[in-house]
Amino acid sequence: MSNQHGISVNLQGVTKTYGTVVALNNFNLDIAPGELVALLGPSGCGKTTALRILAGLDTQHSGQILVDGKDIVGVPANKRNMGMVFQAYSLFPTMTVLENIAYGMRVRHISKEKQVARANELLELVGLQETGKRLSHQLSGGQQQRVALARALAIEPSVLLLDEPLSALDAQVRTQLRDEIKRIQTEVGTTTLFVTHDQEEAMAIADRVGVMRHGVLEQCASPQAVYLNPINVSVAKFVGAMNLLPAVVTTNNELEIYGQSVGWRNPDGLTARSGRALVRPEQLLLGSPTTDRPANAIVTNQTFLGPLTRISAKVMSDGNTLHVEMPSIEASDYPIGKNVVVTIQATSVLLDA
Amino acid sequence: MKRRLSAGNYLVLLCAFAFFVVPMIAAIEFSLRGDQGTTHGLSNYRWILAQEGFGANLFTSARLAAITAILVLLLMVPTIVYLHLGGARWKRIIEFICLVPLVVPVISYAMGVATAMPIFLQSTVYELSFLYVIVTMPYTYRALDVGLSSIPLLTLVEASKSAGATMRQTLVLVVMPSIRSAINGAIFLSVALALGEFTLAVLLHWDTFPTWINNVAQSNVLGAVSLSVFSLVGAWLVVLVVAVGPKSKHSDQNQEA
Repeated sequence: MSNQHGISVNLQGVTKTYGTVVALNNFNLDIAPGELVALLGPSGCGKTTALRILAGLDTQHSGQILVDGKDIVGVPANKRNMGMVFQAYSLFPTMTVLENIAYGMRVRHISKEKQVARANELLELVGLQETGKRLSHQLSGGQQQRVALARALAIEPSVLLLDEPLSALDAQVRTQLRDEIKRIQTEVGTTTLFVTHDQEEAMAIADRVGVMRHGVLEQCASPQAVYLNPINVSVAKFVGAMNLLPAVVTTNNELEIYGQSVGWRNPDGLTARSGRALVRPEQLLLGSPTTDRPANAIVTNQTFLGPLTRISAKVMSDGNTLHVEMPSIEASDYPIGKNVVVTIQATSVLLDA
Repeated sequence: MKRRLSAGNYLVLLCAFAFFVVPMIAAIEFSLRGDQGTTHGLSNYRWILAQEGFGANLFTSARLAAITAILVLLLMVPTIVYLHLGGARWKRIIEFICLVPLVVPVISYAMGVATAMPIFLQSTVYELSFLYVIVTMPYTYRALDVGLSSIPLLTLVEASKSAGATMRQTLVLVVMPSIRSAINGAIFLSVALALGEFTLAVLLHWDTFPTWINNVAQSNVLGAVSLSVFSLVGAWLVVLVVAVGPKSKHSDQNQEA
């Protein structure tokens, strides 16, 4: 990654409340120069609040915000030099695309020639060379967000802030623009904070994904680490699909799930002796049934997901329905009504007690 | 898809149009009559122009109108923007204050001015502009409020601030162009009121165009009607200038006011 332009961002012990609601609770986040971090979490978890506080559009009650090592608490939004793309379309309706992109330079009294040159350069970067003279209402949603991205980059921001910029777009455009944002961010190397509630989006675009819950950053790690090694049960349950299977803790501190022993990862330090094990659909295998196995099940449904198919199976011993994902090409071996046995192929799993 | 108007619709429109236009045509025709009522010409208009004080009083009212419009924009736009951005708890109070001029008699303002307005303002005709701002508040507030409600104000302001603009730059470069129709409406209301206001000017003993019309019209009935037509055309010109004069290069489709 070309990160020579990026600078570090540190949010330390940031707390923000709205009345009795705690939006951010001792929130800590470190972003390395040039890094793209996605904040992921359900609605109301505080991710947008964190971004707005960093942008200077909201103020925290306590905590420090360091950009390139300097505390910017108290610096107004227009002095922070942070480019922002909003969830809602935010192009200025009476300005052309070029004027929108040049706006940040115009208010900085940069010469007209430089404004035009830089705006054209950015239009090319976002692939909209032909639209410079159009007004915002003459652009599609995807084009408007591209222009908003160009406008945010035009001021050569210290930090780029993206507040769910893709959520108003349809699926195909969203995927295209997501890839484009990643390409452009890599190209310009600006430190970026991306807020989203879409897991796939966060996983696809971010160098690191921060999972938030109740105003706290629970885990901030690479997409692979968040998915494969969630730090606790709530992260595991939020990120990706998960089966909750009845489990008992054995004497050698493993979990027994449907008669199979699986390692127990216990980051929360649980002392419970039973609960529900968290197993991802792709960590389950289906096979031919054997007599009296507690993991014997019957296929009840198939959901075609393109390259993968999700198969639902009802466990005979307790009536629990679990979901297995397998390549679609193999799914025809497991039609609805077929008797199967479920095997867990995970080395260690979490327990929700 | 365009809806076709029925014959009944056309009839109603025609009646409304006639109701509006016939008296004006009659007035214009009357204002063009000569002394005996048999010939037509511009003699009454020439009579107006020949009257002493015509230009001076018209210029006074024009200056008052311009100052009123500027004061209205300076006071009302930032205030209503503030109400929309975060001062919602003040909205009812401000709305109430803006409606007060509708129920308080104008003579009360005149008395209030005599007792409360700073002396340096009382000594100049421009004190009328401050009063006109108050009298127009019920209308200008509504026009600007509707205009600001029709745009995503918070997002635009935050986008502008994050691009590095100050609040003043945001108001001038982003907000005001986005509610241009509403601002035109507020300007027109202010100018029309300032050009036609009579009571306050009389009570406070100032000579303005309406008070001058009142004086000179008493000696010439035809001249009085010609002055009315003249004022009407003047007001239309103001509408025209406000509506199409400083036309931006873009159609501001988002506005309603």
